[in-house]
Amino acid sequence: MKYSSFDCLIVERRGPVGWLINNRPDQLNAMSAQMRDEFAVAWKELDADPEVRVIVHTGEGRAFQTGVDVTEIATDGQGMERYRESVADFDLHFTAWHQEVWKPVITAVNGICAGGAFHWVADADIVIAASDAQFFDPHVSVGQVVAIEAIGLLRKMPVEAVMRMAFVGKYERISAQRAYELGMISQVVDPPKQLRDEAQALAEKIAKNSPAAMRATKKALWGALEMGLTDACRAGADELVSMWGHPDQTEGPLAFAERREPNWQVDNPA
Amino acid sequence: MSTYETLIVERRGGVGWLEFNRPDVGNAMNSVMLDELERAWTELDADPDVRVIVNTGAGKSFQTGLDVVELSRNPEALREQSRRTKRAELRLSAWHNQVWKPVIAAVNGVCAGGGLHFVADADIVIASSNATFLDPHVSIGQVTAYEAIALVRKSPMEPIMRMALTGRHERLSAARAYELGILSQVVDPPEQLAEAAMALAEKIAQNSPAAMRATKKALWGALELGLSDACQAGADELVALWGHPDQTEGPLAFVERREARWLPLDAPVPEG
Repeated sequence: MKYSSFDCLIVERRGPVGWLINNRPDQLNAMSAQMRDEFAVAWKELDADPEVRVIVHTGEGRAFQTGVDVTEIATDGQGMERYRESVADFDLHFTAWHQEVWKPVITAVNGICAGGAFHWVADADIVIAASDAQFFDPHVSVGQVVAIEAIGLLRKMPVEAVMRMAFVGKYERISAQRAYELGMISQVVDPPKQLRDEAQALAEKIAKNSPAAMRATKKALWGALEMGLTDACRAGADELVSMWGHPDQTEGPLAFAERREPNWQVDNPA
Repeated sequence: MSTYETLIVERRGGVGWLEFNRPDVGNAMNSVMLDELERAWTELDADPDVRVIVNTGAGKSFQTGLDVVELSRNPEALREQSRRTKRAELRLSAWHNQVWKPVIAAVNGVCAGGGLHFVADADIVIASSNATFLDPHVSIGQVTAYEAIALVRKSPMEPIMRMALTGRHERLSAARAYELGILSQVVDPPEQLAEAAMALAEKIAQNSPAAMRATKKALWGALELGLSDACQAGADELVALWGHPDQTEGPLAFVERREARWLPLDAPVPEG
């Protein structure tokens, strides 16, 4: 599948793995209005490409991402007002979760991850990081509220660490090692330059699993963050049973019994 | 500050201190302290010179819950506390009293039973290396509920269940609480705890008070709702600050490479 051309992102496929790479390294991959628009398109294109089984999201240069482009905000005469309506309506389109991507998404944090960058940590299924990655949330140090990305993180890791980051602002950073201890990420890659190779290797493992089973699993687990436990189990049961009768659901056990690789049905989300 | 019998309440620079002060009884809460806690949180929250609040204890305990011995001699106070417990109308912690300034719990020793309210309901928790955590409720025939319920939202659940069910027969160390993300800093040697708490509080005091208040409302509010509903409610807090002077001052100070000048919480917000 041919992708659109992007100015602020690199979007490409390597085998079964779709890559989405933040590409404003001179601005530490800060999100301009244009980049924001490009994210919306890129996630949808990768999700629609039947050759892509798993998506990896990373950044060029020494930062993964550093949130909204504060220089643009301070100097373009519009500031955050440009986004008032979409934020007030929680009508955002720059992460995989916003765009309802049901393929597995791995965020590979290659360096500084600050402020709004946590949107892509919170909204990924799996997060890995280079050993020199650093995490901090300077919102309140520049007079901004932190809400949505921290709310996502609160569901997924110990809350105290998220609150400390939120209130301490730019005056402290969390290391990749501490992020690993806290369960915010599941792998620290050392040396850092091997991050992309490790992300590709992890993605290729995941790409061997049933696309249909992973999609239903992802829906069940993210859906569970919306509800109380018993309701989440009921909704999860619906996802579980929805696979029964799907070819993968009989092919998997058969391949296991016959000691061969399974042939999954290519899943078309459309 | 007004005077207190069972607490030390004071301001050091931009940092308000609320210290449990019944060291001879493990800082357990008697009827006087129950009343004074509500008053102290309210007073600190209302003081415009206080940007951040640190909560700690005098002596070798942080807080060991209700003083059951004294309360049993004061049937009226016990009845009032029972009534509040039944209606979930407690006024012990910052969260109970709707304090929207950042609160740091600095756990200086034993934190037992009802003392866990102050860990669960703080924004940030640090502890001295000799601090220990336990929940003896079930060992004395009591149910543990509120404090553990909040903790299961905020940390891995298995250790909270284990603490609730092993009662007084096991303690969690500060080091393990750090590993689990129940707290974010272990201070060693223990006597440097107050200093470390002050240093942390002073960092936080440099941030926009208005942005921190809205952030706190958004994040604590998120514990009440499903993810998408919480994001929508959080978006309301987010946008509520747009037009506030801090929200444009912050990026401007960043671009101009200078310290930001924040509007105090009690100052009138100019019309946008």
